[in-house]
Amino acid sequence: MALITTFEDITIADLDALKHQKQAEGWRCVQIFTTHNDDDGSNDLTYTFHKDDTQANYRIKGITDKDVIPSITDVYFSAFVYENEAHDLFGVNFEGIAIDFSGHFYDLAMNEPMTIMSPEKKAAREKAARVAAAKAAKAAKEKAAAEAAAAPAAPAIDESKLAGLDPEKAAKVRAAMEAKAKREAAKAAEAAAAAAPKPAPVIDEAKLAGMDPEKAAKVRAAMEAKAKREAAKAAERKGE
Amino acid sequence: MSKATVIPFGPQHPVLPEPLHLDLVVEDETVLEVIPQIGFIHRGLEKLVETRDYNSFIYVAERICGICSFGHSLGYAETVEKLMGIEVPERADYIRVILHELSRIHSHLLWLGLAADAFGYEALFMHTWRLRERILDIFELTTGGRVILSAVCVGGVNRDFDAQVLSTIKEKMDSIRSEYKQICNAFLKDSSVKNRLVGVGTLTREEAIKYDCVGPFARASNVAIDCRMQASGAYSRLSDFQPIVEKDGDCYARLKVRLLEVLQSMDIIEELIATMPAGDIAVKVKGAPVEGAQASNALEQPRGECYYYALGNGTKNLERMRMRTPTTANLAGMTMAMKGCDLADVNMIVLSIDPCISCTER
Repeated sequence: MALITTFEDITIADLDALKHQKQAEGWRCVQIFTTHNDDDGSNDLTYTFHKDDTQANYRIKGITDKDVIPSITDVYFSAFVYENEAHDLFGVNFEGIAIDFSGHFYDLAMNEPMTIMSPEKKAAREKAARVAAAKAAKAAKEKAAAEAAAAPAAPAIDESKLAGLDPEKAAKVRAAMEAKAKREAAKAAEAAAAAAPKPAPVIDEAKLAGMDPEKAAKVRAAMEAKAKREAAKAAERKGE
Repeated sequence: MSKATVIPFGPQHPVLPEPLHLDLVVEDETVLEVIPQIGFIHRGLEKLVETRDYNSFIYVAERICGICSFGHSLGYAETVEKLMGIEVPERADYIRVILHELSRIHSHLLWLGLAADAFGYEALFMHTWRLRERILDIFELTTGGRVILSAVCVGGVNRDFDAQVLSTIKEKMDSIRSEYKQICNAFLKDSSVKNRLVGVGTLTREEAIKYDCVGPFARASNVAIDCRMQASGAYSRLSDFQPIVEKDGDCYARLKVRLLEVLQSMDIIEELIATMPAGDIAVKVKGAPVEGAQASNALEQPRGECYYYALGNGTKNLERMRMRTPTTANLAGMTMAMKGCDLADVNMIVLSIDPCISCTER
């Protein structure tokens, strides 16, 4: 007799009763798979059972990150393969899987290449990664500051609000708006000053602290000479 | 007092045709527990259905695995035909089943060779693969390819078999049969083979049902499960079909099931050649699957039941394509069969499910 296939939509709440019913009636668990919905980012889970000539498919639609699906491995042990696969490849959350690999069943991503690396090479590779990360963070911060500065400021005095008010009240509100605008301008100036790159100190006391006194004196003199030269250059450029 | 050690098995191992990692928790020489881990050959092939239309995807489906290649192209095509309500001509059905049974013979011969190599009988491995070459010659004669056939299309098959080709297939089957029986004797009666396989990795009938095992792995444990019993396509034209079942549930029983299935497949091919109807080999397929339409299918591949599912979205690209292969279903049974076995028997038990990890991970 030809294969009969059926399709039915169920909910998460129906799953517990379904697994017990199927086991009692002698159905075999064929598989579980996930379908990802690009529209809303949700997933659908489809369970398939087989008995005699019938293949029954049950679909749970619209599973989100917040949903937790009860495992059927207490009844159908072989489902642990499919549930771990659904978790690893689609991010569906299950509770109570008989063998829960916690994301390591389908171990696709490797932290390091599977090669033998010398400690020096490994250290150099890690240092380069740290430098790149710091650079990216700095660039992101500067970009955010530039975007904040470029954003059009709200008008200090909102005339539309004052239009419908009593003249005495309007005067009081206008004064309050002006005071608020002054306070916000002062805050923005402070933030810009904090975000702006600080000029390096003329004498770097931190560097000199750990040095030999004789050497520290020589380095101090060199730092002062350098600061004088740079100030002269800046003045020359300004004069031009 | 001995303590348990964890020995990693794979992903690279001489007996493994494809990468699979097992953590074997071992005490002295006895395996206490087996923890599998996969992901070494995951290529994301199911996702490619979003960018390949339903006709082109068949070329991706048949490249999921080199051994089960034809089976995947056939299962995929049948599922899409179910989705779109396409009826394939009868002659195409016959050609598909003949090629599928030839694929089963070649897969089982490949496995027999690997099994012989695994227990150290290299001469038998070479003889088995020598016979397998004759099947690959038939593939090359009929479809042009030895492993990837590209013979199936949605709606039928790409090439017809004329009378000359059919008689050549029959002659080659006859030439293989007598030599194959000698190989069967070597496998089944040799005492060294029996020492390695009898009583090893036993799975009872109750365990095989409990762990939802499929294919020869289940049939060796007295579970009569075979998708060909559903009699779809040309299988419905056979005079009689009974799955080959053994009772002992050990590696020897699994070997015997596969050995006898090769002979059964040869009988099926000869019967279909003798009764091949005339007619077209394909129907023209137009349009796209309806949005929200679903279809599922099951096909008996050499390793067992393979589940296929297709979901349409109104375009020529399917919304979802799913293939659940028999090795995935047998992983749980395999880990249970290894509990309590000797460390030296691990490779035989792993091989006895005929693992095809490429199919498992796609």
